[in-house]
Amino acid sequence: MSHFTRRLRYVGKRLLQAIPIVLAIIILNFFLLQLAEGDAVDVLAGEAGSATPEYMAELRAKFGLDKPLPVQLAIYLKNVMVLDLGYSFRHDMPVSQLIVDRLMPTVLLMVSTITLAVGFGIVLGLVAAMGLNTWRDTAISIFALITYATPLFWVGLMLIVVFSLNLGWFPTSGMENFAMFYEGWDRVWDIARHLVLPTITLSLFYLALYTRLMRASMLEQSGQDYVTTARAKGVTENRIMFVHVLRNALLPVVTMAGVQVGALIGGSVIVESVFAWPGLGMLAFEALFARDLNLLLGIFLLSALLVVAVNLVVDIVYSTLDPRIEVG
Amino acid sequence: MSFRSLATATVCAIALAMTAAPADAQKAGGTMVYIVQPEPPSMASFLSTSGPIGLVAPKIYDGLFDYDNDLNIVPALAESYEVSEDGKTVTFNLREGVTWHDGEPFTSADVQYSVMEVLKKVHPRGPNSFLEVTSIDTPDDYTAVFNLANPAPYMLRALSGYESPMVPRHLLEGTDPRNSDLATNPVGTGAYKFVEWRKGQYIRLDKNENYWKPGLPYLDTIVGRFIPDASTRTAAMENGEVMYGAYGAIPNIDAVRLRDMDEFSVTTDGYSMINPMALIEFDTTEPPFDNPAIREAVSLAIDREFLIENIWFGYGEPATSALSSNFDATGLYKPQPSVYTPNADVEGAIALLEEAGITPNEDGIRASAVVDLIPYGEDWRRAGEYLKQALSEIGIDLELRYEDVPTWLNRVYADYDFDMTVNYFYQLPDPVLGVHRHYGTDQIRQGTHFVNSSRYSNPELDALLAAGAQEPDAEKRAEIYGEVQDILAEDMPVANLFEMEFLTVYNEKLKDHATSALGAYGPFDQVWIDD
Repeated sequence: MSHFTRRLRYVGKRLLQAIPIVLAIIILNFFLLQLAEGDAVDVLAGEAGSATPEYMAELRAKFGLDKPLPVQLAIYLKNVMVLDLGYSFRHDMPVSQLIVDRLMPTVLLMVSTITLAVGFGIVLGLVAAMGLNTWRDTAISIFALITYATPLFWVGLMLIVVFSLNLGWFPTSGMENFAMFYEGWDRVWDIARHLVLPTITLSLFYLALYTRLMRASMLEQSGQDYVTTARAKGVTENRIMFVHVLRNALLPVVTMAGVQVGALIGGSVIVESVFAWPGLGMLAFEALFARDLNLLLGIFLLSALLVVAVNLVVDIVYSTLDPRIEVG
Repeated sequence: MSFRSLATATVCAIALAMTAAPADAQKAGGTMVYIVQPEPPSMASFLSTSGPIGLVAPKIYDGLFDYDNDLNIVPALAESYEVSEDGKTVTFNLREGVTWHDGEPFTSADVQYSVMEVLKKVHPRGPNSFLEVTSIDTPDDYTAVFNLANPAPYMLRALSGYESPMVPRHLLEGTDPRNSDLATNPVGTGAYKFVEWRKGQYIRLDKNENYWKPGLPYLDTIVGRFIPDASTRTAAMENGEVMYGAYGAIPNIDAVRLRDMDEFSVTTDGYSMINPMALIEFDTTEPPFDNPAIREAVSLAIDREFLIENIWFGYGEPATSALSSNFDATGLYKPQPSVYTPNADVEGAIALLEEAGITPNEDGIRASAVVDLIPYGEDWRRAGEYLKQALSEIGIDLELRYEDVPTWLNRVYADYDFDMTVNYFYQLPDPVLGVHRHYGTDQIRQGTHFVNSSRYSNPELDALLAAGAQEPDAEKRAEIYGEVQDILAEDMPVANLFEMEFLTVYNEKLKDHATSALGAYGPFDQVWIDD
């Protein structure tokens, strides 16, 4: 069997395995969310100021909330099978459309954050490991510790104070300038400027993680036998570092990045809230408080799918980084 | 004021409005970005009086009237009105030549449909406002005759574009208004047309070129932005990215800082129509608060001025009665300072408890209770912390509970599973609209929010409320509500704390944004930017 078909079969198998996992996640989430007091109708009626019990009963019937729980679950599962994520009664829109609308900003923030955090994390970790116990190592370690320990919302607010209010380089919040409504490349530039501060805030946190991980991983690999062998063969130090050690040291970093892509989708609530970034995290957060369960389940499902997919990709990247790791 | 003189006053108001044509300085054009927080669930102001909807929808929908800052009627879709001698027929003469945003003409049929089929049926407060309306005749396209079962003087205060929006019959008829596409795609007669709602970001409204007020609005576009974080809202204001934030969008702690800067100002204008009152609701059916003496003792033990000064940064007035002092303008307000004390009267409170036989146990505790705090922000938590301390002085041991909105609403209004809750109510421009729902026996409606959760029931009071709603004579009405306030001060099912003053923070470039009594819930048609 060729390498390629083996890999393809592996992917197929993993996808099949994912089905029961995702199903279990849906069912678990469904019941977990039922534990919260009150429902979407309570919130809507509460905001409205006053509503008659008859009206609320009517709304419940319309939303399907009057049916017994197992029936509600069965209906939901049936709809998911045909890729229908249901309807958000609060937003008066199909869940899938709401999610798709928010996906672009989320992906934008996620990709830029992961790139920045992993990229700089690897570089800083490398620099720290190569200059073990020098001032560079110490400085990087302290930097990583501070950024990791500082609350995200505080970093965000301080960046706003410094770079928006005092220096005036970047806007405080939002994804676009709503007084201007730019088009074309002006719009791209405008969005890029709005993206800077949230990306920095969010990546500072993850950056610390990758720096520490990369440093530790580099140090561990440097002590391995194959490094001694390479050195004995007369390979240059630079080649040992960048070709042999680096490649092996990246494995844990890739694992970590894989785990975090899934977490980032919802884990950026604080940053999205501070910078009024219209991402999925905020949507999920608001959905929880509005008891918009269809929407919440939809977002969770997307998260779950993303984690499954990313894990698969990570496993494949493993085998590329380290051919000794076989998939199958 | 009698009905006749009210009608005369309207004529004067109309004359005034005619002469007060736009002055010279206003500049046309520009975009105003303002804060809408939280993001509204829809734009259906005919279904929901939710705050964020009020920040958007009244720019799109007009009412029959608007109101100036002294609560005088300003004609809007109705040019004038007459009330019959017996108060049972109200005739509105509608403005001619008004069109909906889709080009259809606005006529009396729209008024008839809006009130009878929409507001009276599906609006949260509409059934109250239009309780007495039995039918509406439309003798011609520009005359709407409201036939009432009993006189309803308060109705004329509930006709703003926020409280009672006029909606297009031709788009709603034959559909269920609760399910209408209008909720996300509104079509009104107002100063601005709906353009776009980008979820999680903003709602954009553009100038209505065919607005019935000639030359208005000045602005080309208004954009309501959603910014979840309070500190960021302040930063966005400071940075000039937004120009206007009302209803505490900028927290008081930041508002007082911005107030001292040259570019920004703070106003408490534009809230007289909603008349908000902070208060404590008691569960009067179960111990410990089933005894009026302990409820009154709580009222005495609270230092209202301390609350206002230290938690709300001086914005607010101590409550002195069941009615807000804003009702002084209509003569209905009767202060009861001996039970609603501006400063704490701990001795008085203890004396009251002793007299009622509520004595301390060996730990000095007379009663224990859980206080639920309205989950609308940090200020309310601070208020809870203050209450715990203040009431410990008279031997009442409080435990604080702060939950999320649906949980709290369910607990207080559906499950009745509470001892006391800190809350606030809009008293609105007439007690019938905003206050009756809190005390009437008919307002004990399990599952309905913001009504009589105390389950206080007093036939004597019910009779007075019924009489007050129908009494057209101002003096007699004042007498009735005087008695109402005496009874409520005695029984204290709800302890009013203070008359809230919401803050509007705005950029100095923004002019004429507070011309309506409705403030941020107003039409924004005269706002302009001076840059």
